[in-house]
Amino acid sequence: MKTVFVHPERCIGCRHCEMACAIEHSKSQDLFGMLFETPRSKPRIHVELGIDFMTFPNRCRHCDPAPCMQVCPTGALHRDVETGSVLVNYSTCIGCAMCAMVCPFDIISFNKVWSIQLDHEVNTKCDHCIDRQQAGNIPACVEACKTGALEFGDANTIIRSSRKDFTVRTTLALKGEEAPSLPPNIEAFRDIMAKVSQFGTLG
Amino acid sequence: MDKKIEIIVNARTTDEAAKVVLEKAIEEGIETVWDRLEAQQPQCGFGQLGMCCNRCAMGPCRISPFDDAGPTRGVCGADVDLIAARNLLDDLLVGAASHSDHGREVVEVFLETAEGKSQGYKILDETKLNAIADEYGIDTKGKSKEAVAKEVALAIFEEFGTVKNSIQFAESRPPEKTKETWKKAGIVPRSVDREIVEAAHRVHMGVDSDYVNILLHALRTSLSDGWGGSMMATDISDVLFGTPKPVSSYVNLGVLKPDMVNIVLHGHNPVLSEMVVKASREKDLVDYAKKMGAKGINLVGMCCTGNEVLMRQGVPIAGNMLNQELAIATGAVEVMLIDYQCIFPSITKTAGCYHTKVVSTSEKAKFPGAIHKEFHPGNAFDTAKEIVKLAVENFPNRNPDRVKIPNNPMKLMAGFSVEAITSALGGTLQPLIDVIASGKIRGAAGIVGCNNPKIKQDYNHIVLTKELIKRNILVLETGCAAIASGKAGLLVPEAAELAGDGLKEVAQSLGIPPVLHMGSCVDCSRILVIAAKLAKALNVGIADLPIAGAAPEWYSQKAISIGAYFVASGVYTVLGLPPKIFGSPNVVQLLTEGVEGVVGGKFAVEPDPVRQAELMAAHIEKKRKALGI
Ligand code: SF4
Ligand code: SF4
Ligand code: SF4
Ligand code: SF4
Repeated sequence: MKTVFVHPERCIGCRHCEMACAIEHSKSQDLFGMLFETPRSKPRIHVELGIDFMTFPNRCRHCDPAPCMQVCPTGALHRDVETGSVLVNYSTCIGCAMCAMVCPFDIISFNKVWSIQLDHEVNTKCDHCIDRQQAGNIPACVEACKTGALEFGDANTIIRSSRKDFTVRTTLALKGEEAPSLPPNIEAFRDIMAKVSQFGTLG
Repeated sequence: MDKKIEIIVNARTTDEAAKVVLEKAIEEGIETVWDRLEAQQPQCGFGQLGMCCNRCAMGPCRISPFDDAGPTRGVCGADVDLIAARNLLDDLLVGAASHSDHGREVVEVFLETAEGKSQGYKILDETKLNAIADEYGIDTKGKSKEAVAKEVALAIFEEFGTVKNSIQFAESRPPEKTKETWKKAGIVPRSVDREIVEAAHRVHMGVDSDYVNILLHALRTSLSDGWGGSMMATDISDVLFGTPKPVSSYVNLGVLKPDMVNIVLHGHNPVLSEMVVKASREKDLVDYAKKMGAKGINLVGMCCTGNEVLMRQGVPIAGNMLNQELAIATGAVEVMLIDYQCIFPSITKTAGCYHTKVVSTSEKAKFPGAIHKEFHPGNAFDTAKEIVKLAVENFPNRNPDRVKIPNNPMKLMAGFSVEAITSALGGTLQPLIDVIASGKIRGAAGIVGCNNPKIKQDYNHIVLTKELIKRNILVLETGCAAIASGKAGLLVPEAAELAGDGLKEVAQSLGIPPVLHMGSCVDCSRILVIAAKLAKALNVGIADLPIAGAAPEWYSQKAISIGAYFVASGVYTVLGLPPKIFGSPNVVQLLTEGVEGVVGGKFAVEPDPVRQAELMAAHIEKKRKALGI
């Protein structure tokens, strides 16, 4: 099973992924061209502030079975078997938002799309960059993420290397040695921002 | 107050007067800086960490904070140390340029006044003029003050350029030992403009590519600001408008008056505002205001222009950086006059929701939607009168139903120039040295800098200031920090009650507050001067003194330059918010540790104000011990 794996501790809130997603789903597929299109393409991955100024890139997990698919009254949601992606058929989506109510990750949003002339907004969730995948490329958000917070690949392979990491850290800890999971300067910055959040209005 | 609004308001500010108006602003749907900060979340981590470079068209580039993923060099080959250092120097040079360009403008007015070409200006402090002339080796005997002023002005102008390649104040004022460290490090400032221009050159792709060398130049550039541009702004403003003496006035949004024409003087440069103060006292304009149904004309300050006219003219001050939109939201401001720096570009949009007119006055700082009345020394008084008249004529447009002015302006005392402190002590600084030596006062701390909406307004300033005076540390303040203390009631002699026994006794015997308002942000140069005088009296360097600095709520590039010239002059300086350097462990290490071995001062980053006070107090005690006191 290929998926986009999120390493939230690496997300620094730059929103490159959002930008790349919007470009990918625009008509021109070009940053400058996108700005002149109506409707303007919107990101399908969402980077928002949690606590202590930390962020999390939230996107469709392409669940299987997918709660959204199960409740869609028009069958607008369907699965691409080859890539396992949950996709929306814009022409049959009636904007009832049943899918959004049951999505465990609250990632569905409704927008107008350029690909079909409609008066109403439809479910524009992540399509797993199905076009790119079919062309043998990785999703746009993953390509754009320069911190490694988004990783695309076989879930078991990714988990195996994370698990190895965890094992090394745990055994080091047993020996009483410290193995920071983040570089010390980044850890220091996070600590400072966690304090800033105590004295401010945010995060 | 509505429960939900109350929670928001309390999270945003500790300023009680501001809370009243912020509630109104929220109810009226007025956008403020806090809303915009929220809309900006999350803010880019590459930017916050100083790991992105947008300098050239091969970029923009960013370096990954994690070494096992993502790029480690920009397209040109710059690594994270270089990118972070270059960004920091870029910010710092902008700050230094802001102070220095402000200084240059004051000197321009000074020269035109000496030549009899300006309108409404006089040379007010001849004693200070002569002292500066002496410093510059200008013979004053038998010359008119105008003739002396002209020579001084030209001598200073020479130091902006590169003909002379030295700055007089940076030579005659610092103690020998401090100057020695600069010489050894190769960071003696050569001119005001040269260091700034050279800094801009160095950050170009393919010029300075060694982060250490870049940071050293950053220190030199900051010295050309602190002991150059800023100090010139301070000293020449004193000569032109008078050296501040202790003065009592009022602070917070409650200084606006319901039945008067209210004019807010906002920005940084006092040259035009001094004239507006004069104009507002003209009988025909006051009569005109009465004819328009007002009881008179009420001038109030904001930010550092506010500090300048507060210190010299006793003009009440409405608040600091985060109060600017709220002043307008009281619905009672006829004109907000702006010069430059720290003025929200959206201020005209805020004013558009009320009858307030924003009047811009500087050719280099125009704001779409503002009425532009350009200031020139030759027509300054006429321009000032025109602006006051505009305000008076706008009074009938005020909608009394939308006016809400908080009730209780706070009393404060300001105007503690070095001269004023010296004279309060009986003519020399020796009594201050004595009480420091005896331990009644443990040392001194300079608290400076801005507001930043990421920190609850004034919270860190106030907590830190209170913690320090409790520990018998005399606090010297400028800029938004000083205004914060004013609003919190710390700038009155009665605040001595909050100080430790030693400081309390000293403040009470002199009848001064335990926290001294020393002026605007260019007046951080006054803190340098007093530190230099103390060091000289003790025959040590500034780095040996039991003093420390802090910018607990800083936001601006100017604050970076100020922090750097404090550090370069030998002062341990605590920042309440992280500068954009944490992507580079090497740059962090150099500025928070390594630099101490070079110049004696260093930075620390600590958002918690109690912890800040502990760090500063520990540093002060360490220095006391080294001095054997
Ligand atoms: S691109 Fe990566 S680091 Fe940046 S916001 Fe998206 S997930 Fe986070
Ligand atoms: S939209 Fe939500 S429920 Fe549906 S597949 Fe994506 S994450 Fe799962
Ligand atoms: S909004 Fe569209 S996709 Fe979602 S459940 Fe309704 S019809 Fe299906
Ligand atoms: S100067 Fe170098 S690091 Fe900066 S944008 Fe250009 S190529 Fe990238």
